[in-house]
Amino acid sequence: MLELQGLTRRYGDVVALDDLSFTVREGQMFGFVGPNGAGKTTTMRIVLGVLEPDQGEVRWRGRPVDAETRRRFGYMPEERGLYPKMRVRDQLEYFARLHGLSTEDAASAAGYWIERLGVADRAGDRVEQLSLGNQQRVQLAAALVHNPEVLVLDEPFSGLDPVGVDVLAEVLADRAADGIPVIFSSHQLELVERLCEAVAIINRGRLVASGTVEELRASGGERRYQVEVADAPTDWATGLEGVTVLEKHNGRVVLAVEGDEQRVLDAARAAGRVTLFSAVQPSLTQLFRQAVQE
Amino acid sequence: MRASQMRTFDGIRLMARRELVERTRRDRSFLISTLVTLAILLAIIFVPKLLGANDPTEFDVGLVGAASQPIGQVLTAQADGAGIRINLQQPASAADAEAAVRDGKLDLAVVDGRELVAKAEPDEQLSLLVQAASRAARAQQTLQSAGVDQAEIQAALAPPPLPVRSLEPVDEDARSKRTIATVAVFLLYGQLIGYCFAVAMGVVEEKSTRVVEVLLAAVRPVQLLAGKIIGVGLVGLIQLAIIGVIGLAVAVASNTITLPPDATGTIGSVLLWFLLGYAFYSSMFAVAGAIVSRQEELQNTATPLNLLMIASFFIAFSSSVSGGDTTLAKVSSFLPPVAPLVMPLRIASGNAAPWEIALSLVIMLVSIVAVVLLAARLYEGAILRTGARVKLSDAWRSGRRQPATGRA
Repeated sequence: MLELQGLTRRYGDVVALDDLSFTVREGQMFGFVGPNGAGKTTTMRIVLGVLEPDQGEVRWRGRPVDAETRRRFGYMPEERGLYPKMRVRDQLEYFARLHGLSTEDAASAAGYWIERLGVADRAGDRVEQLSLGNQQRVQLAAALVHNPEVLVLDEPFSGLDPVGVDVLAEVLADRAADGIPVIFSSHQLELVERLCEAVAIINRGRLVASGTVEELRASGGERRYQVEVADAPTDWATGLEGVTVLEKHNGRVVLAVEGDEQRVLDAARAAGRVTLFSAVQPSLTQLFRQAVQE
Repeated sequence: MRASQMRTFDGIRLMARRELVERTRRDRSFLISTLVTLAILLAIIFVPKLLGANDPTEFDVGLVGAASQPIGQVLTAQADGAGIRINLQQPASAADAEAAVRDGKLDLAVVDGRELVAKAEPDEQLSLLVQAASRAARAQQTLQSAGVDQAEIQAALAPPPLPVRSLEPVDEDARSKRTIATVAVFLLYGQLIGYCFAVAMGVVEEKSTRVVEVLLAAVRPVQLLAGKIIGVGLVGLIQLAIIGVIGLAVAVASNTITLPPDATGTIGSVLLWFLLGYAFYSSMFAVAGAIVSRQEELQNTATPLNLLMIASFFIAFSSSVSGGDTTLAKVSSFLPPVAPLVMPLRIASGNAAPWEIALSLVIMLVSIVAVVLLAARLYEGAILRTGARVKLSDAWRSGRRQPATGRA
């Protein structure tokens, strides 16, 4: 288990992180979402030891993370970083060695990831000669080449074409299946919802919500219903206790309901002929908007 | 603890090795800069030799008229004593002599014992010799006409040379030593400024390409700094050694200099002072790189350091030109920024006393430790800050909070 406990970090007067805590289980694909400037990159940098928190700590398998442990973490920073003039294979072997692999292991791991990520024919080229998409693949390979115990990826999907997204998603799912916690941040919430078992939403340095998507939906305390009543004025639901009208169009309303939904159905039937009454699963995007607006 | 220390050096070693491999084997500019420096060095060795092909140890002097003849005799005799050969010629007339001087066939013509004809300013040494010969010839004539005995005249005008008693041992190799020292100052300066700037460029490269963040996830800032400085320094040291050995070999083979018996010592001290100067300057250059985010900004932050180095070079160069051991050279060989350029010069010229070398070394080492510690903290505080140029005071303040100690 990777535990982030009470992380706080200030830059001068700006509080970038305020008592942030969440937990990622081994083998879990974990989405880390939040608006720009929410503190995602700061959090990831702290996990990787690139930054020091003012307070709080990161624990892995029950023990505080030290420099030695971190060398077994894999990291892909948001702003990609590779030596532009270094050759792809040399570069990957170098990063593998820096993370503690022997010369032979580094060579074979670099070979494996070059093959797996489809840049084998560019292995002898300087990184600057590659297309941006291929550079991104090399960047990912650099995060994976030492077979890390924990993967932390800052916006790994940005800038990838749909094929690249599929390749990356497959690789990440594969790593998670091996029992590695995979944390990544993304603004592509549909993608996060599709790939991740659990998410954390942060805003202004604070954790707004975390857990599985199901838990987030349940924890709202309110459920949503889509109701269509024929031959009735659309304001039939206005003023019902515990009911908020979220959307209204063409005789169809979307309601946020607290408590018993049956009385809402009763009110609808009283108003006219009910042609639709169904529970709506809020998407992660909706949950995100809701969480961030509060 | 032991294991983690091993790791510390592993990280530094890996990074230093990367610098070495990428810069020497993967980058053609190393080969090019080595060849260019060698070419310049060989030019310094050979150009004076080529220009000195008609080295003024041999002169053509024309004697016009009978009155000039006695001067000629005395001149050859005296010049011989000074190790200079005079070829006497007898132009038919003053006009012929003038034409020959104009054509450069004669260096000087003596016309009727009364006038010297030179193309422009005559060679100083030759002129002195001829004037002296003229005085001697006149004296000889006067004495002769006064009826003084020929043997007495000889004894009076050409006494045996006075023996010289040197109070200190004569250094036969002084000239070679000075040549080596002067060339060493040039080389040291070139290598220092070149490779210190390479450190700064390397730091900015890692920062501007953001690879530093990937690196810092694996190693600590101090390791990164140390690996960069050691790696680049090794490249500079290897290049200096290659150039030094080839240059010295060529200079000796071509008889430009004679190898002094302590040549190995001289080369060793040049390499040592390169290392000391590099250790002193490179970490500051690394800071100059760490506080900016783009290569273009580096010129500004590196300027004070460049100026410091240039000033040191001029102090060293001026004292190497003046040849003597000036007060400026003596004093500055104890000032850390200047010492790496001045001290090897004084050592090579044989001017530095052992206690001076020892004191200078101690001062140098102490200040290196201080500068490196300061630079490491500033580097740590600045390396992850992108955007505007980082103020040194800000870097100093945030330098402390980086995981330099490896704490979680």
